[in-house]
Amino acid sequence: MPANSIFESFLAGQGYALFEYLGDGEFRLIGGWPPWCANIWDSQPSGDQRIGLADKSPFLENFLVDAEEFWRASSPGAVNSGNWIERGADGREIPLEASARSLDGKRILLIHNLSETFGQQQQWFQTARNSLLEHEKLLKEIQKKEILLHCIVHDLTQPLSAMNGVFHLLGGENLPDALRKYVKAGERESQRQELMIRGILEAFSSDLATQQAREAGTHEAPDLLACAEQAIEEFSPAFRERHIRLVLGPHAAGPRGWRVVGDASRIDRIFGNLLENAMRYAPKETSVTIGLQDQDGFVFAYVDDEGPGLPPDQRPDQLFALFSKGKSHAGKAGLGLYFCKITVERWGGAIGAETRERGGSRFWFRLPRATQTAESKAAAAARGKSVDKERPHKNKKAEKSLRILVAEDTELNRDLIIELLNKRGHVAEGVADGRQALVALEKQDFDVVLLDEEMPGITGRQTTAAIRRREAGTGKHQIIIGISGHATQDDEHRFREAGMDASLAKPVEVKTLYKAVEAAAQNLHPGAAGPQHEADHNVAAASSAAPPGTSANSTADSLANSPADCEEVVTHLRRTTGGNEKLIRSLASTFLADAPKALARIRSAVAKKDAAELAGAAHLLKGSLAIFGAPSAVAAARNLEILGRADSLREASAGLRVLESEFALLQHELRRINSERQPKVKSRSKPTSTRKRKRAR
Amino acid sequence: MLQKKVCMLGSFSVGKSSLVRRFVASMFDEQYHTTIGVKVDKKVVNANGEDFTLVLWDIYGEDAFQKMRMSYLRGMHGYLLVVDGTRRQTLEDGLALHDRVVAEFEKVPAVLVLNKFDLTDQWEIEQAQETQLTAAGWTIEHTSAKTGAAVEKAFLHLAQLMLAK
Repeated sequence: MPANSIFESFLAGQGYALFEYLGDGEFRLIGGWPPWCANIWDSQPSGDQRIGLADKSPFLENFLVDAEEFWRASSPGAVNSGNWIERGADGREIPLEASARSLDGKRILLIHNLSETFGQQQQWFQTARNSLLEHEKLLKEIQKKEILLHCIVHDLTQPLSAMNGVFHLLGGENLPDALRKYVKAGERESQRQELMIRGILEAFSSDLATQQAREAGTHEAPDLLACAEQAIEEFSPAFRERHIRLVLGPHAAGPRGWRVVGDASRIDRIFGNLLENAMRYAPKETSVTIGLQDQDGFVFAYVDDEGPGLPPDQRPDQLFALFSKGKSHAGKAGLGLYFCKITVERWGGAIGAETRERGGSRFWFRLPRATQTAESKAAAAARGKSVDKERPHKNKKAEKSLRILVAEDTELNRDLIIELLNKRGHVAEGVADGRQALVALEKQDFDVVLLDEEMPGITGRQTTAAIRRREAGTGKHQIIIGISGHATQDDEHRFREAGMDASLAKPVEVKTLYKAVEAAAQNLHPGAAGPQHEADHNVAAASSAAPPGTSANSTADSLANSPADCEEVVTHLRRTTGGNEKLIRSLASTFLADAPKALARIRSAVAKKDAAELAGAAHLLKGSLAIFGAPSAVAAARNLEILGRADSLREASAGLRVLESEFALLQHELRRINSERQPKVKSRSKPTSTRKRKRAR
Repeated sequence: MLQKKVCMLGSFSVGKSSLVRRFVASMFDEQYHTTIGVKVDKKVVNANGEDFTLVLWDIYGEDAFQKMRMSYLRGMHGYLLVVDGTRRQTLEDGLALHDRVVAEFEKVPAVLVLNKFDLTDQWEIEQAQETQLTAAGWTIEHTSAKTGAAVEKAFLHLAQLMLAK
């Protein structure tokens, strides 16, 4: 057999078919006709028979343009077609690749059957693309959970604002000692709950790391000694109650001081978490010591107790893991030490725990010393107003009375903030939304405006934009403080971008409220060139409440199956009002009058596909529904709020139907409650009766 | 018979192969099989009372691993720009691909296919965005290769646009 024939047979055996191009899309077979060629293009051509490959395969016809160009240019090497798939007569798919070459002046086309390697190649691509899809899904899940988390935290902080405010106001009253003790306990516990909520938010907030990295080195460096002293001051009463001494250990007053990288409020919380931990394990009549040491470029802080030491079967680093509760489960959610770890590590520090040689345990953390710039900035701040350490006393009146406008849609929160500000000696008045705030500002001047972020119609940020637009070119600068229920630093950043001067997180702490309002007002110089924020987006038009399209009657059938929710409504109302019939009736009447308007807003928002409006309206209705403890209705409203926030309105119509159904059930029940209770209430509802009962209690 | 070359363009896993399979063979496979290379299918259609063959070039989806060869589009009469409606990014990637096509080839009819319309609960393309695209001249079809909804309509719509040209 001639060498050429051996070579051609070899090629055919390896899955190659060799052709010479004759022009006009026609070829002559060189060598063998592999079985796959027969499967695709029929029987072997005889002798010098021309094969119109271009007619047989649109892909090859297309490739021939590139191949002809290649042959014309007499380029060295080859030009490849890339992979394509032909279907054989038996239905099998055959992966192929063609290459054009020049050999001995002949135009050669080599077609290779890739079946042997194609499967492997496809598997690689399949795996890689599946991974990409999984990655995309994961990102979406994370995003959804973040939105949900923010909604939950927002819901949790709303009632807490009210609780904190109520306790604070009660604390200012002339109460008997025994009662004052309970009020203080209530205030302390609501503040602890607030810390836990913030802990959850911060521990899971994905944007925190970036934000804090941005912050490092650019803001006031906190003084670790001042934080330790503050912690001792705050925790001493609790330790005393447990007969444990809380002391500051010896520390050399080094010339460099104790300024570190970090944030004072978070360091306060780290000390707080470590002290709470020590308090749980320290025996009575022992000491817990906070100490500081200088360590090359770092400040080392520790909390020593005289308890049993660390559990012998647990590695110290496990104590700082997420949801780690220790063996005795004496802790709470297992977030406290985890929060400490992620916070300290983000600042370039470290945290740890060990059993001390002399007994007891030591929880410590180490933070880098602040840079020179940050220190001098802090020193300058200390020479100035000393804002960081200024902690207004609860009952102390402000030096200057300010006129303050409070725009907040939740009536109870609004009234509390106003009450707290008035107690402080300011003159505060409230409005229920951004539009009313703009009207109020047209009528009179206010030193400070407090704007809730989420309000019906126009949001706090949109209201700010409108105010800044009005100010443009006038030289005026209205002090605006935003109030957010989410409390992340990202929110603060967004508020500042929107033109606000400061921000407050819900639940609004009394001290923080006074500090923010008064510090902002101190910077107020009428006519001075404050930052001119040109509004860059239009204020959204507040949609008018459309008349209710679906009445309760439309779901009359479902009312017959009145679910457990209705029972729960009655029980819930009795529990929350202490069986106060008048209050129950009043709550029901208010809901029956106002809530349909909120539902109409939701309908309108769904019809107009206005996601922001939907989120705001659903948020508002959710708050009203929660008063009646109607979990299904609250869940339906929350679902719509989440859809609105996520700007995902595909399911909004379905969600609205659920809400309408739940709403109708509640409406029906409240009408029933109202009609059933009417006569009894009338006989008891003399103006003074409620007050008398309250006093008697 | 008159032949028209139609290319299926779009990101990976948007459902290009599934649309062709549904249109040509009335079949659908739940499992995702990535396409490597090009697969050419044919189907005879009747549009405006005229029978002609659509030569469907199912071209692999572009991603970080495979860039599309523009030479595959040579001589095409129209294309379906396929987008996965549950992945907003595929719309942006698809439109970027369209820009490259327009820059290199003579303008040909195209239909924007928002596929996987059966997954409405995961839909990420907003109505406002669709309105903008329509205003920009796009013909949009909402298809589901899974249920077959609007698949034939999308191809026939393109066929009519190609015949009208």
